[in-house]
Amino acid sequence: MKLELLKGSRSKYLAAIVLGITAIFIIRLFYLQIIQSNYYQQQAAAEQVKITDLPAQRGLIYGLSGTTPEPLALNQTVYTVFADPTTVTDDSQVVKTIEADASGNAEPDLAQLLTVPGSRYEVLATKVSLTQATKIKAANLNGVGFQAITQRVYPEGTLGAQVLGFVDNTGQGQYGVEQGLNSELSGTDGVLKAVTDVNDVPLTIGKDNIDKPAVDGKNVVLTLDLNVQAEVEQALAAGLKTNHATNGSVIVIDPQDGHVEAMANLPSYDPSNFGQASNASDYNNPIVSSPYEPGSDMKTLTMAIGVDKGVVTPATTYDNTGSMTIDGVNVSNGEGLGHIGVINLQTAMDFSLNSGFITVAELLGDGQNITLAARQTMYDYYYNHFHLGQLTGIQVANEAPGTVISPNDPSGQGNAVRYSNMAFGQGVDVTMLQMAAAFSSIANGGLYYTPTLVAGTVDDNGNFTAAPQVAAQRSVSQSTADTVRNMTQVARASLFSASDTPGFEIGGKTGTSQTLINGNYNNNQTIGTYLGYGGDATPRYVIMVQVSGAGQTLEGGRDAEPIFANISNWMLNYLQLQPKG
Amino acid sequence: MSYQRTSTFVPRRQQNWSRNQNTVAFVSSVKLGPVAHTVIVALMITVLGLIYLTQATRATSYDYTSQQLDSQIANLNNQESDLKVENARLTALETVKNSTVAAAMTKPASTQYANQ
Repeated sequence: MKLELLKGSRSKYLAAIVLGITAIFIIRLFYLQIIQSNYYQQQAAAEQVKITDLPAQRGLIYGLSGTTPEPLALNQTVYTVFADPTTVTDDSQVVKTIEADASGNAEPDLAQLLTVPGSRYEVLATKVSLTQATKIKAANLNGVGFQAITQRVYPEGTLGAQVLGFVDNTGQGQYGVEQGLNSELSGTDGVLKAVTDVNDVPLTIGKDNIDKPAVDGKNVVLTLDLNVQAEVEQALAAGLKTNHATNGSVIVIDPQDGHVEAMANLPSYDPSNFGQASNASDYNNPIVSSPYEPGSDMKTLTMAIGVDKGVVTPATTYDNTGSMTIDGVNVSNGEGLGHIGVINLQTAMDFSLNSGFITVAELLGDGQNITLAARQTMYDYYYNHFHLGQLTGIQVANEAPGTVISPNDPSGQGNAVRYSNMAFGQGVDVTMLQMAAAFSSIANGGLYYTPTLVAGTVDDNGNFTAAPQVAAQRSVSQSTADTVRNMTQVARASLFSASDTPGFEIGGKTGTSQTLINGNYNNNQTIGTYLGYGGDATPRYVIMVQVSGAGQTLEGGRDAEPIFANISNWMLNYLQLQPKG
Repeated sequence: MSYQRTSTFVPRRQQNWSRNQNTVAFVSSVKLGPVAHTVIVALMITVLGLIYLTQATRATSYDYTSQQLDSQIANLNNQESDLKVENARLTALETVKNSTVAAAMTKPASTQYANQ
């Protein structure tokens, strides 16, 4: 018997309905799996694939203690402890535990925070250490969570604050080396893209996984000697207490390689608590970022130009009338310096007489005038030999170039009057770093070393790699440098020999600069500086001291020199130099 | 189970081409029906699935181990950083200067040099 569905039977209707439903399923599945395939794959990936940033560790910063690297900036993981008040089951237990284990870091009135209506996130404690966090975690508190944060730690406190700078809340270096070497210190963040399970554990399955490890920042070793830096900061603070100056700066350079051994400024701040600085200007490092008119310190460089060009010697004489007229403008010596009559340039150096160095400038020309040729020679030495008025490339942020106006300046500012002033340190803006580096080239026999703060890098195993040394450039001849260095030694001996430990070679030059107020030089607000060197048979250090303050009259010899002497005498002991028999 | 020897007719020309080749084949007397085939295929698929599942589970367990090790490494690194910071603070110049050892130090009255 042949079975077949009867026309109009219920079975035939059922078959048609089943067929219809099946067709709907097939069409729907075709729509979802073929047409909407990409959309749902993306939805699935968004749900299952997690992208995690792998933050690079910021490089550490070291200084030197002698030749041993010592940490100046480290990283530490700290925790923010937070609570979801709606899921906290035992308020009193949470309060008790946090107050006991995170004392000092806990927020005030914890009980009140846990009862804030509708809140799902309340910070209970910040900057909690790993040890504290471990204790709190052990208490198994419901509704309490931890967020790890890396913070920068400066174990030496305020030591070298303006050299180091700080790291802001976004992890970016600000000021100092932290900003100047930010890209080297930051490293490169890595990324992990993987399918994760319900516990967010990355799984190896999945064809589009990415595992790019983070590259940590470089650990930088600075040339700063921590012991020298500490002594310099102490001597500067003591000096400012004595002379009542509000601001002071000191730089110490090794003239044999240009390594900066100390850079100190007051007022200062604590980089670990940079937000508490009394004034934002405290973040700046005036040694590199505040050009000023160097005053009489410049006379050593002007003298070096004259000696190097063969137009003067320390014994060259001239008639000192106390003032000179340049293109109709009267330029005078400092008040009450005397020594009127025929004197030599050594005397002009000893007593810082401006006329002596204007004479050098004239002798670079036709002997009577500071001609264009003389000005071009002076500019060439100041700018190209001594590298004044330009960035040195020191590895800190916000270095300022200063200004040395060219004789060919289209504004006509590079005239004879300006160059007569530049000969004794006015009408030119330089930084202390530039002056100290230029003077170092006189101290070391005529070689200009680009000043640097970076000694090298050290890897995680402690292996030190020295930074490449930039080749020295000759600024003046060896004999010129020796002659001028000797002049500074004589100049110091004539006035300050009692300050120095006997048996060593110490030289230097005072500087007292008027400051410009509303375009006019002001005698009631002066900056005092002292720039000198010291050592045994070989100059081992160059120290420059500057003291200043708004409305303060400060002098190089009276206010800056004692600070130089203190540091210089300490350096002789620290370097274990032996006096000449 | 027994096997039946069979022979196949091979034309002379092909015989020349395939000389020294085996001309004997054994054919099983056991015949499997369509149901048996289906069951066997289903079993094979199941076994393969189980093998895959075992391997995938094992890989996932390695992922968990790896995650735990990573977490342990991070924790140890944090502890190391903490100790480094503590060490640096304890040996900081200011700490040393304020120590009892430093307080007990005295300045030398005079200095003598070896070569004098």
